[in-house]
Amino acid sequence: MKDIARQSMSIKVESMDLLNGQIKMEAHASATYLAMASWCEQNGFFTSAKFFFKQAEEEREHMMKIFNFLVDTGGNPISPEVTGINHDYSSIVDVFESTLEHEVKVTKSIHNIVKKAREAGDIATERFLDWFVMEQIEEENTIRDILDMIEVTGTEGVGLQMIDNQVANWIE
Amino acid sequence: MNVIFQSTYYTLYQANKERCFYLDFGQKTVRMSLCQLLSLRHKVMSIAIEDHFDSELNTHGFEILMLCNKEHLFILNTLELLDLKNLVENGFMAIGLSTKPMVVGQ
Repeated sequence: MKDIARQSMSIKVESMDLLNGQIKMEAHASATYLAMASWCEQNGFFTSAKFFFKQAEEEREHMMKIFNFLVDTGGNPISPEVTGINHDYSSIVDVFESTLEHEVKVTKSIHNIVKKAREAGDIATERFLDWFVMEQIEEENTIRDILDMIEVTGTEGVGLQMIDNQVANWIE
Repeated sequence: MNVIFQSTYYTLYQANKERCFYLDFGQKTVRMSLCQLLSLRHKVMSIAIEDHFDSELNTHGFEILMLCNKEHLFILNTLELLDLKNLVENGFMAIGLSTKPMVVGQ
């Protein structure tokens, strides 16, 4: 019997399911960063707003990278439904702390897919995710650096304004 | 055509010459490409089977399934749906695209 299925699709369906989950997560991250940009604009943190607009774009690019990988491997990419986006933050510190939490969650999810792909012997998916593993190190590091800068600057007096100005250093 | 997997109500076949699959639903047989089979899998996986056991969430215990770009429409009861999930799970294992049983309600 011909292996029609394998000739039509290069990865396992379990990897495809996990990558579709990741597509949803990246789309959620993009929408979350857009909500953060909106919060920053409304609260006078204009440089931080620019930073989050850019982050939102980057997350969408990540989503499309995975989407196109599923197309290339003959899979079934699913356009994600994004709901439950939080628009309420108590401060700019809260915004950046939430960002770090979110990035850590994304990193864990990617590591989980790598582990599962390795267990299934799905080398294509494992190798594809190499870029994401390294990208997440960079993403987490950026937010950690911003939180360190906030800690050093402090939020008293003109601190908040200084924090917002310094976020420009992390906009490429 | 080669039988890939047969469940209580359904049979999945592979047609080598046509490079496609056939799913016999009893009332009719549907020709499917792998993409359409993947789409069926996604639809079946997305159905919350638990809702069938809650009269408020699924009053009548039926699901409407549209396949192959709305070319076919099926109305399935709980037993048929569980059987179709079983067929999808084992069918994908048999064609070598799945390494483990599917988690129902995933």
